Amino acid sequence: MRRIQSAINTAGPDFRRNQDHYRRLVAELQEKQEKARRSRPERDVARLERQGKMLPRDRVEKLLDPGTPFLELSTLAANMDYDGESPGASIITGIGIVSGREVMIHADDSSVKGGAWYPLSVKKIIRCLDIALENHLPVIHLCDSAGGFLPLQSEVFPDRHMAGRIFRNQCLLSKAGIKQLSLVFGQCTAGGAYIPGLSDYNVIVRGTGAVFLGGPPLVKAATGEEVGVEELGGADMHTSVSGTCDYPAASEEEAIAIGREIVAQWDRPQKWPCQREEPADPYYDPEELYGILPDDIKKGFDIREVIARIVDGSRFHEYQPNYGTTLVCGFANIWGWKVGILGNNGVLFNDSSLKGAHFMELCNQNNTPLVFLQNITGYMIGQAYERRGITKDGAKMIMAQTCSRVPKFTVMCHGSFGAGNYGMCGRAFDGRFLFGWPGHQIGVMGGEQATNTLADVKIAQMQRNGEAIDPAVIEELRETTQAAYLEQLSAYYSTSQIWDDGILDPVDTRNALGMAITSSLNAPLGDPGYGIFRF
Amino acid sequence: MQSTHAPFFKVLIANRGEIACRVMDTLGEMGIASVAVFHHSEHRARFVLMADESHEITGETPVAAYLDGNQIIEIARATGAQAIHPGYGFLSENADFARAVSEAGLVFIGPEPGSIELMGDKITSREFAEEHGVPVAPSVLTDGDLGTFIERASAIGFPLLIKASAGGGGKGMSIVNSAEELEENARVAASEAERYFGDATIYAERYVERPRHIEVQVVGDGAGNVVHLFERECSVQRRFQKIIEEAPSAGLPEELRERICAAAVRLASAANYRNAGTVEFILAPDGEFYFLEMNTRLQVEHPVSEMITGIDLVRMQVEIASGKPLSVSQADIQVDGHAIECRVCAEIPERDFIPATGKVLVLDPPEAPDIRFENGLVEGHNVTLSFDSMLAKLVVHGGDRSNAIDNTVRALRDTVLLGVETNLDYLARVADHPAFREGALHTGFVVEHADDLAAPEPDATDRNAALLAAALAFREFRTLAFDAPDPYAAMNGWRN
Amino acid sequence: MSLKLTMDGAAFDLDIVNLRPELGVEIDGQESVVIDHGTRDGVRTVVIDGRQFEFRQARDGNRVFLRLGGRNWVIDLVDPRDAALEGGSAADEIRAPMPGAIISLHKEVGATVKHGETVLTIESMKLQTNLVSPRDGIIASLLKSVDETFEKDEVIATLETEASDA
Repeated sequence: MRRIQSAINTAGPDFRRNQDHYRRLVAELQEKQEKARRSRPERDVARLERQGKMLPRDRVEKLLDPGTPFLELSTLAANMDYDGESPGASIITGIGIVSGREVMIHADDSSVKGGAWYPLSVKKIIRCLDIALENHLPVIHLCDSAGGFLPLQSEVFPDRHMAGRIFRNQCLLSKAGIKQLSLVFGQCTAGGAYIPGLSDYNVIVRGTGAVFLGGPPLVKAATGEEVGVEELGGADMHTSVSGTCDYPAASEEEAIAIGREIVAQWDRPQKWPCQREEPADPYYDPEELYGILPDDIKKGFDIREVIARIVDGSRFHEYQPNYGTTLVCGFANIWGWKVGILGNNGVLFNDSSLKGAHFMELCNQNNTPLVFLQNITGYMIGQAYERRGITKDGAKMIMAQTCSRVPKFTVMCHGSFGAGNYGMCGRAFDGRFLFGWPGHQIGVMGGEQATNTLADVKIAQMQRNGEAIDPAVIEELRETTQAAYLEQLSAYYSTSQIWDDGILDPVDTRNALGMAITSSLNAPLGDPGYGIFRF
Repeated sequence: MQSTHAPFFKVLIANRGEIACRVMDTLGEMGIASVAVFHHSEHRARFVLMADESHEITGETPVAAYLDGNQIIEIARATGAQAIHPGYGFLSENADFARAVSEAGLVFIGPEPGSIELMGDKITSREFAEEHGVPVAPSVLTDGDLGTFIERASAIGFPLLIKASAGGGGKGMSIVNSAEELEENARVAASEAERYFGDATIYAERYVERPRHIEVQVVGDGAGNVVHLFERECSVQRRFQKIIEEAPSAGLPEELRERICAAAVRLASAANYRNAGTVEFILAPDGEFYFLEMNTRLQVEHPVSEMITGIDLVRMQVEIASGKPLSVSQADIQVDGHAIECRVCAEIPERDFIPATGKVLVLDPPEAPDIRFENGLVEGHNVTLSFDSMLAKLVVHGGDRSNAIDNTVRALRDTVLLGVETNLDYLARVADHPAFREGALHTGFVVEHADDLAAPEPDATDRNAALLAAALAFREFRTLAFDAPDPYAAMNGWRN
Repeated sequence: MSLKLTMDGAAFDLDIVNLRPELGVEIDGQESVVIDHGTRDGVRTVVIDGRQFEFRQARDGNRVFLRLGGRNWVIDLVDPRDAALEGGSAADEIRAPMPGAIISLHKEVGATVKHGETVLTIESMKLQTNLVSPRDGIIASLLKSVDETFEKDEVIATLETEASDA
């Protein structure tokens, strides 16, 4: 492997302009994250304090081993939904180290509407449990939720990927031998009760923690029985009578201490032996990514400059450097782990598609995880390319990618348009983790094309109806369409919908991938094999 | 191999801890086998391991076992020991025990029972001293009527020191400054005396302000020969108990030293005293001195006298007990340099010297020719409240007093005794105090300088170092600090 | 918080803030870089912010004794679970583990009890069992007297919910 020779002039005007632009994007990201994490109404914070409860994030911090990293997932979930009333979708998820073991943490955020589950809360929990299942990560649930958000119950409760899926996933985790621990800090009512109910170990805090299918008001309404919270489902009842919970705790601190001690008893999963070298920092400063990423979605850049700022020692073994050059493929190490990287350097042609498919097959045979760095406008269109079979070549790439047995990781660096999203392991393709950068866009086509297409349709419709074509109206139409479309293309819209596992400041990408790859190695590799490649 | 010169071939030591070890050291040198007696709570103590044979004694409490003379005599007979060395404390000044030992056909390594009785009672000993021209402080004794006692006591003038007649070790002692205080304190003292010693008799004597405690080591052979080994200064006391002793005393005029030593020899001679003994005096700032009491046994602080004279007091005790006359004359006994003893106690000076408990986990005393670390400790030794809090004595010699102080301070700092809280640092602060160095001593020294002697606020750097060092001792911390899995550990506390 | 220690009655939080390349620990907002060179001949060497400290140490349970910088230090580890226990971690009740009868009561209402101290003795299936206090606290009630019988899981004694500060 050789160190990539960067061609970036960090003193040049383009670099400076890009850097200013991207720093603004990152500042905006940080501001939004800070708000989602910390900004809470005074009365909610006061209420938690009154109840002797810690803020959910403080619980997470106390649970984690000190001085170790925490990869928070989907921090900005729901940031563009519910009028911003559910920051982070009222759930904190992430991967961290507890008692020296990698765990997935799911914490209800009781500082928002009592931790009530919105539709996206449920989606976020399901996603975190999916990650746990796929990567064999034990799960620690920090339970403190008022239950489903009733006004939106139809979007929370019934469907295949709604609340029931949480419990289904818990059962599958257990069946797969993946441990779960619940720390019950607040009330777990109705469905929420099954989170501890389906966990292997439960700790419950006396006085504030409670588990029951129906709370006292519901019991009274249903049967007339009058019973208090403690007697119905408090710590002492569940740890000494029902056996639903295992350990009573006098305080949240103690519950966390017990929880850490429980985790310390767990065996450590054997990771499969991915090739590894001693990690090294990138030779090039990752902060230079700000000046490399263009200030316009239509402007191109050399993906090797990005690779050089993510991988160990900026060292890269490029595969087929002279063939299918719009897709850069090669081997590198991230935090020591050997990975195969596919990065876009332009539109996907027949040769670049075939190269990608071939490279993925190499990685599958070599037990090398795949990292996709997306900046793709799509597969090339036009008669010549169709005649050469661009569709079936793209299909080969999608087939190789979909059927890969090695873990896959995707970073949405810039553009992600059309079927390129598929070939490069978009959300639908079950990569282990997918992260976006704050300036990236996802859409079936770019903003301008889409706006034009939509405007043309509208004009045609007006003409059919014999309406006069007022250029001012057309222009206004164009603008409103574009604004709405661009909003939906944005990274914030994607992450709000949990189409990704979170937006990353580009400089954090190396650590995020490092943690994601390390976690992924807990799950054994799948069986090799592909479907039919159309030749 | 047994020495043919040895006066005995086997001696039982009716004591424990450092003094049992101290006695065994000399017995060993003399070729005499030693028998230890121990309570099961101390079955692995150093003195038990060190003895040639060890036997368990039982009692309601560990102390009670050591006070059970009959049991100990039984063991002495059963083991064929010819003599019993009582050490200090316990049965060392018990005339009945001394008598019982003789009646059992054994030798008591100590004085005649009559001497013990004479000196064991504060009243008779005072009268005896007065008769033989040894000065005593003006005093009065209770006669059953507290009213007349208060009247007579007030006539001496205040301040007065009130003491239990049968007492010792500071129990029931108090200083009163007025008639009103006297009445209240006398009542309390009498009831305490009754409770502790079974004898409500108390007495009041002139209280000397800023007194020094000077004592003279004497040895008599009961055949008319008495010598002194010069005096010791034991003014540094806390809660009426000595913590630092030295020999000779600091800056005592030669003429006064001679007078005090002569008085001590006079008293011992008058009693035809046999054994090592100590005559204690109170020395007033004006040079007046008063007889306090005579201890008819080996004293805790005897090593300082040994170190300046080169005489082994235990050897002398054993030889005299075997009937030999004194082997030295007064002219043979010369002072060489200065010696200081520090009593290393399991206690918390910061909390009014309350005794501490724990386990001796690390013991690494300084080693040098001019240092004696007298102790009965082994690593793993349990320190309980069953016995006195003294763990060891650090005895240090120097060419002169200043040199001895330097050596003492260094030796205290070099002493590693971990696992129980001790007064080591406190002792170092006392020894290093300018007033101590000047020799401005009196029995209220530690109270007078309490502020200076309080533990200094630790330097923040040292404090943090100690906290970090402590943290590193805990597996919980080490696991967190060093066992975090890779590559996460190298990411440290990264957050996205 | 990584570790809570007490020294001379004062509490200190030690936070591990960095693991690599060297251990970084924060005390009172001040970070120190700590390199442990281990113990040799009983002497441990630790370099803190470039300054070398040599010391002796002994550990007895949650207590550490140090000879460092020419003085003794006694430092205690506060176990979060112990701290909680004193405040009342465990249940407020003593329940019968099996049906039986009271043999003797060792404590009265209002008595202070330590965690693990025997409160009463019961007999069941010809076997005497001591029931102990689940935490430090004060006996709030004794619901059975000597010779009275009870069923399994019946509450026999209760502790005051919260230790009063008075």
